[in-house]
Amino acid sequence: MILESKEVTKLFGSKRAVDGISLQLEKGHVYALLGPNGSGKTTWMKMAAGLIKPTSGTVAFEGAPVSIESRKHVAYMSTEPYFYAWMTVKDVGKYYQDFFEDFSYERYQKLLQKTELTEDLKTRALSSGMMAKLKIAVTLARDARVYMLDEPFNGIDLLARDDIRACILEYATEEKLLLLSSHLVEEMEAIADRAVFIKEGRLVENVDLDDMRSQRGESMADRYREIYGHTEG
Amino acid sequence: MFKLMKYEFRKTWMTKVILLGITAAAQVLFLFGLYGDHDNALGLSVFLLTMLAIGGVLVIGLESVITLHRDMNTKQSYMLFMTPNSSYAILGAKMLECGLSILITGVFFFGLGALDISLLFVKQGELNKLYEMIQQMIHTINEKITIDASGIASFLFSILAGWIGTISTAYLADVVSSALLNGKRFNGVVSFLLFLVLDWAMGWTAQQLTASITSINQSLVWSGVISLAFSAVMYFATAQIMERKLSV
Amino acid sequence: MQFDPMTPIWLQVKRALETDIVSGLRPPGEKLPGGRDLALQYSINPNTAARVYQELEKDGLCETRRGMGTYVTGSMERIAALRREMAEKAIQEFLSKMSVLGVSRQEAARMILKEEER
Repeated sequence: MILESKEVTKLFGSKRAVDGISLQLEKGHVYALLGPNGSGKTTWMKMAAGLIKPTSGTVAFEGAPVSIESRKHVAYMSTEPYFYAWMTVKDVGKYYQDFFEDFSYERYQKLLQKTELTEDLKTRALSSGMMAKLKIAVTLARDARVYMLDEPFNGIDLLARDDIRACILEYATEEKLLLLSSHLVEEMEAIADRAVFIKEGRLVENVDLDDMRSQRGESMADRYREIYGHTEG
Repeated sequence: MFKLMKYEFRKTWMTKVILLGITAAAQVLFLFGLYGDHDNALGLSVFLLTMLAIGGVLVIGLESVITLHRDMNTKQSYMLFMTPNSSYAILGAKMLECGLSILITGVFFFGLGALDISLLFVKQGELNKLYEMIQQMIHTINEKITIDASGIASFLFSILAGWIGTISTAYLADVVSSALLNGKRFNGVVSFLLFLVLDWAMGWTAQQLTASITSINQSLVWSGVISLAFSAVMYFATAQIMERKLSV
Repeated sequence: MQFDPMTPIWLQVKRALETDIVSGLRPPGEKLPGGRDLALQYSINPNTAARVYQELEKDGLCETRRGMGTYVTGSMERIAALRREMAEKAIQEFLSKMSVLGVSRQEAARMILKEEER
């Protein structure tokens, strides 16, 4: 098991953003982390990335609580753009190369070639779609053990989504764990093999998708509507 | 660590370039005033250079605190905190970069000042007169002070070290605000009060410890050393809070 | 390939491969793409792709030679049987739709012959 969340709770003021989530994620799987905005997906991912400290409980990477060591092996991509304003596309790659041993500049360039991004572009001037692609390219150019991508399809047009799915699948080997959050459930039906549903900070279930389809005759989207339908209206 | 420092410098170098640019312009004005015998230009440039020396050291320190604040409270925080670097390394790089910048800027302006004063003397041939005038002026304020190279160096050191101490106190207050008081009422007020109290405590400690030293120079040096020691303590406390409690 | 989200993905890819085998697009004894390549071709999860081959193998439609990869079965009988199964299934589906429409089997048979004459 690569990532394990033990009774993890995070309070923001008096609000329970994550409420006692216990969860085990194994390598060799692509997990879809599902739930509406504000359900705690992002907060949980940030705790697994070591950016946010849990109020109680621990997230462990290969048995030890997330730390500087785990950051070497966990590639995290946040929803929001986070690069420094002065950076060009090239600077972003150099920065990752400076700090992550598993980063390959060559692979970064290869991934950039699939997009309309060029190294001289200023990140400040990028459209949201281009920024989304840049974030994915620089994150996937790492040869990490765990990839956590928060809303990788956000702001990306339909055609480019296919490319991104293909890139993601290239990295989905037996040795790796991929965790993708999205509210675009349909985008994940075929590439994820397991789904983790989170509602109001709590874990609803962690299921094998094909089992769910054959046993209950439900799609991921059906299950999504079933779980969140009442609260989302 | 060096890589972290490189990026800390990269975040703040624009200010430094601008500062250097204005200083160069003021210096040109000084030379123009001096050798073109324009007294107004000379006077203005001396005023400008003095302001730049004081302002430059202040601005570099303040910008460093603002950068730390942004690195904890905006999305760009992920850039730092997702890398496999400890809070000790991240904060250490910031303090070293800022401290070195302050020292270099201070020494640079001091050197420039010394150069300009010498030029003034050589041109007007009245170096001794000016020196005596300054000496006399200072004597009327405090007769224990004499101006010599070591005196000036001690003074410079204690001022710059004191400023570094103040900056590290501001770091601590800002980290306490972001890591411990985030979202709480009166966060700003409480952390600002913390800053005032700690900064006062640093000054008070230095004063108490140097009170028995009779030589002004030595007491200046010691107060600088105490400020730096205080900075080190602030550094460890701040990094510890970041490591344990900071969520970005 | 467009997937029906209600049906297991492995089953849908398996059916697509079965159609390829029966139609001769993937002839007997031909090497099939590796699991990872299959995943990329169909944009599916690699575990799902592995499952596709497991299930095909269980049905005797392909065989894995150690270190060599996965091959379409060389057994013409097995492929003929698969063709029969698939055809029967298609007829069952067709007939059940016809019965919903109130068309009897004889009538349906007549309609098929008529369709052929056109």
